[in-house]
Amino acid sequence: MNGFLVRVVVPALAMMLWPIAFAGQTNPYKAKATEELPPRNKVAHIQITQGPSLETAYSNWAIIRWTSNNPGGSDEHFGIVTYGTDPKNLSETAKSHIRLNRNHPYTEFRVRVDGLRPRTTYYYTVDSMEGNGARDGVKSPVRSFTTR
Amino acid sequence: MHLKSLLLGAIVFVMALGVAMITHGQQPPSTIYNPYPPGILPPDLNSELARVQREVDFIEAEAIRQWHAIKPPVPTGNPPILKDTGVASVEILGKLMNYDKNISPFKNTACSSCHMPYAAFSGPIPSVNLTMMAYPGSDRFRAGKRQAQRYTYSSYFPPLQYNATQGAFFGGNFWDSRATGYLTRDPAGEQSQFPPLDPAEMGNPDSACITYKLSLAVYRPLFEEVWGKDSFPSSFPPNTASICATPVGAAIFGGSATPVMLSPDDRTKSNNVYLHWAQSISAFEKSLSVSPFTSKFDAFLANKYTLTAQEKAGYDLFRGKGNCNSCHLDGRSTAPAPTDLGAVDTGVAADVTPLFTCFGSSNLGLPKNPRVAILYESTPDSFGFTLNPAGFTYTDFGLGEFLRSGYETAASPNSTWTKFAPTSDGQMQTMTARDVALVPPQCTGGTDAPGPYFQKEFFHNGYIKSLKQLVHFYNTRDVYPFAVESGHCPAGTVEKVNCWPSPEVPQNMDMTVGKLGLTDAEENQIVAFLKTLTDGYTTPYPDINTYTGTCMTGGNASTQGNSTILSAEELRAGAGARLP
Repeated sequence: MNGFLVRVVVPALAMMLWPIAFAGQTNPYKAKATEELPPRNKVAHIQITQGPSLETAYSNWAIIRWTSNNPGGSDEHFGIVTYGTDPKNLSETAKSHIRLNRNHPYTEFRVRVDGLRPRTTYYYTVDSMEGNGARDGVKSPVRSFTTR
Repeated sequence: MHLKSLLLGAIVFVMALGVAMITHGQQPPSTIYNPYPPGILPPDLNSELARVQREVDFIEAEAIRQWHAIKPPVPTGNPPILKDTGVASVEILGKLMNYDKNISPFKNTACSSCHMPYAAFSGPIPSVNLTMMAYPGSDRFRAGKRQAQRYTYSSYFPPLQYNATQGAFFGGNFWDSRATGYLTRDPAGEQSQFPPLDPAEMGNPDSACITYKLSLAVYRPLFEEVWGKDSFPSSFPPNTASICATPVGAAIFGGSATPVMLSPDDRTKSNNVYLHWAQSISAFEKSLSVSPFTSKFDAFLANKYTLTAQEKAGYDLFRGKGNCNSCHLDGRSTAPAPTDLGAVDTGVAADVTPLFTCFGSSNLGLPKNPRVAILYESTPDSFGFTLNPAGFTYTDFGLGEFLRSGYETAASPNSTWTKFAPTSDGQMQTMTARDVALVPPQCTGGTDAPGPYFQKEFFHNGYIKSLKQLVHFYNTRDVYPFAVESGHCPAGTVEKVNCWPSPEVPQNMDMTVGKLGLTDAEENQIVAFLKTLTDGYTTPYPDINTYTGTCMTGGNASTQGNSTILSAEELRAGAGARLP
């Protein structure tokens, strides 16, 4: 239900109200200093709202993607995929950099997994971490994909 | 005794030969050395270089008039302040330096030769932007490895630093951030110290040469007003002019970085003069002449401009589905966007002069551009210097290469950064999005075909040729990936439309982008928004009307420049000569 509110109702309301907000072209944003912002506070519960799933797979690489609520913490973030051919022994790790958008309530993670074997089924779970290596502790189901 | 005479004679002969060789260096070599296969250099290169030189001279003359119109500043108080006209004086001094072609060994290349105002202080020659990407140096057959980066707002970047909380580097100048600002805390100023000495750019053999040429400049009185009467060395060796007319790397220098023999005191003075060169140019770059915050978007923030429907849709995509403002920060509050008129912004930091950069770096996965001139400069030139011994195997690792003080970059001033090189390989600076669309006003179609347009180039290696392609790359890099190099997209595909060749550096790829799900119309809307970041809307952009070249017409933005795409093998075989 919360996911529905965040992904459907709020954006729909925002789309309806934007024309009103801009009707007079009044800029509602007040100025502060130009500076590199400190990291935001990390949210208490980071939850996957979509995925994880296979975005694309080739013979030797693939992209896994998922959406969670915005985890906060450092803007520089990494998506992490732990994978292997044995679902009980996910021994390999791939990570990819993304940068959080502070204005978005959600975050889309995408991880490129290289060095795969053709026509092979892999099992995986996902997590994310801050730029300094601190894990977000995302709970992920074990999923699978097969390379071409 | 006879042996001693022979030895003495040999020494005299070698010295005479050396003098003769240095004297030879006062003019460009008469024997043309051209390392490029046919078609790498654009056919109109010479006429276009001459055109830019005329424009540079025009603006330099203007700057001299502007200098003479300023009331001389009066040092007042202690510490001494240049009362009333100090700001104007140092800014115009920087402008005079920026447009001074006499600083280069062959007196044919100013800083501005590669950074003209009508291109947002980036590359001024459409045919170069379309083909060889980097600009010829003072020695016309040396050219670098990256495109001329825009000056605009570069002076707002902080000194390079590693942020342990973010686990990333921020700040510095240049695509690879090698102008760190570690001493002066002024990366833009430090940046201005590199090209005069870069063998692929002006190529002076010694920083003392810049000091020497400044000592002869017509604006030396202004320099001394700003920086002091006794700034310059007391004297220069008699062979200074000859040395400074010979490009760096010439075999005659034997690898010396300081061939101008100065006394220790004069060397210190020379170094300080070069520091003042940096400070003056930095002042110019931060002035309203370069970074004025006069765009439509600035007017919008001040409630003095109404975004068109297309621009507003693009802005919403820029900070929404496109996710562009995750890196190109737009100064929006960190609070959720207000959804009704008059809503109070409860965020902690909004900004009326957003810089549209996070000051960071990322590897966007650009393909290798086989047209980059430096790839062909693998044999010794007329001076015995080889710019790129690695030839075509050269890979541009960007920030990572700098952190390890590696190939074709500068020395890192901080050994504790070296361990971050592997995770920084391929990363290039996130430039401000401001002025990405700035072009000469007569090119009313902007950057993109069908125009009339001014051909620019985008990203560090100039692989992308239009803003439409730029947005399309972010949008579809991972939708149309092909394990090929540029020029080898399979039949049935069109490079840059539905075929993206492999990244030059596959590691550390940024995955914030690559599959944004934007429609064709939405890509166009983001392009429309990017145009609102062009300075000169509220106040005319200084020297914007100095372009005397022509605008291009025809074609479409998606395939703009594709007629010049050839594979590396074809280019090396000279197939470029077949192109118009």
